[in-house]
Amino acid sequence: MQAAKRSRISRMGIYTYAIIDSNSKISSSINGLGGAVVYNIPYRNIGIVVSESEHVQDIAQEHILKHEEVVEKLMEDFTVLPMRFHTLFNREKDALLMMKEYCGDFRENLDRLRNKKEFGVRVIWPGDIKRNRIIDAYKKSNASAAMPDSSSVKSFVKEKFEEYKIDKEFEEEADKYIALIDNFFSRWACEKKIEKLKSENLLLNAFYLVEKEKEEDFKEAFERARDICICGDLKYLFSGPWPPYNFISLTKKTLHQRLSEADMFGRISPEQNLLDKGML
Amino acid sequence: MDNVITKSKDVTLLEILDRVLDKGVVISGDIVISLADVDLIYVGLKVLISSVETMERLRGAPFAGGQEEPN
Repeated sequence: MQAAKRSRISRMGIYTYAIIDSNSKISSSINGLGGAVVYNIPYRNIGIVVSESEHVQDIAQEHILKHEEVVEKLMEDFTVLPMRFHTLFNREKDALLMMKEYCGDFRENLDRLRNKKEFGVRVIWPGDIKRNRIIDAYKKSNASAAMPDSSSVKSFVKEKFEEYKIDKEFEEEADKYIALIDNFFSRWACEKKIEKLKSENLLLNAFYLVEKEKEEDFKEAFERARDICICGDLKYLFSGPWPPYNFISLTKKTLHQRLSEADMFGRISPEQNLLDKGML
Repeated sequence: MDNVITKSKDVTLLEILDRVLDKGVVISGDIVISLADVDLIYVGLKVLISSVETMERLRGAPFAGGQEEPN
């Protein structure tokens, strides 16, 4: 019985939802994963919002949605830096050590993101049709200028060069559309992140950081974009407001980054070493 | 939950997954080394319900494959 109890206790941990710009208690009652009470662990003038949780939870859609729900509830009262899903510590002490380690970064991000929200704009275009059109145009121009060429090396090089030209033209066309759309939305945003052609038909996956007072303007802008259908045959998907998931920037280097900067013998540069020791 | 998320947004599950699983504050393994006392457990990457793209990107991440097993 005692062993069973011990084993159960050892499986409990601290599940983290977000860093917030307050060291006060959370006034509203929020329940997190497994119905556990969500509370703030203060560190200096900021805090990390957590709940007690089993280390191993069934990872299901409802847990992911619960994580997001807690972060969004916090966003109503605080500036938040959402943690990535399923970041757990064994004890509060460990969470506080992490806060100590990253405190400067967290404060900078909280200051930069205060009173701002994230919006997402995805634009789908008929990329496959566009590419086929470009290919057809090349085929036609090649047919009219066809020269018999028996050299397989030459024809291979020619084929590769044509593929390159088709890709380039395809990207140039995508860039034109993206520039138009992005110029339209950027007017209301203070920061943005643009992902181009993540797949053939996903022309644009963009994230805009918008000040709270411009939130309604941004929503209207999106409605207008959809109504007037900027660039014709495109489909727009809009989401937000979100916590600023895409605009958190931690400058403290990870081990992975430090190793990638190390020389071939695994040595980290003297400058980096001093930086790590806080001497630079 | 529904009230918070779906009320005013044109939200798809994919939008949520892409953010919650792949973005936000990502504390990676260096903290285990740089602070000997810290016992950080991060198991999220083992258990994803995610888009293929997200999965592929995470496979290349430092914790891919889940180096830390839950106790």
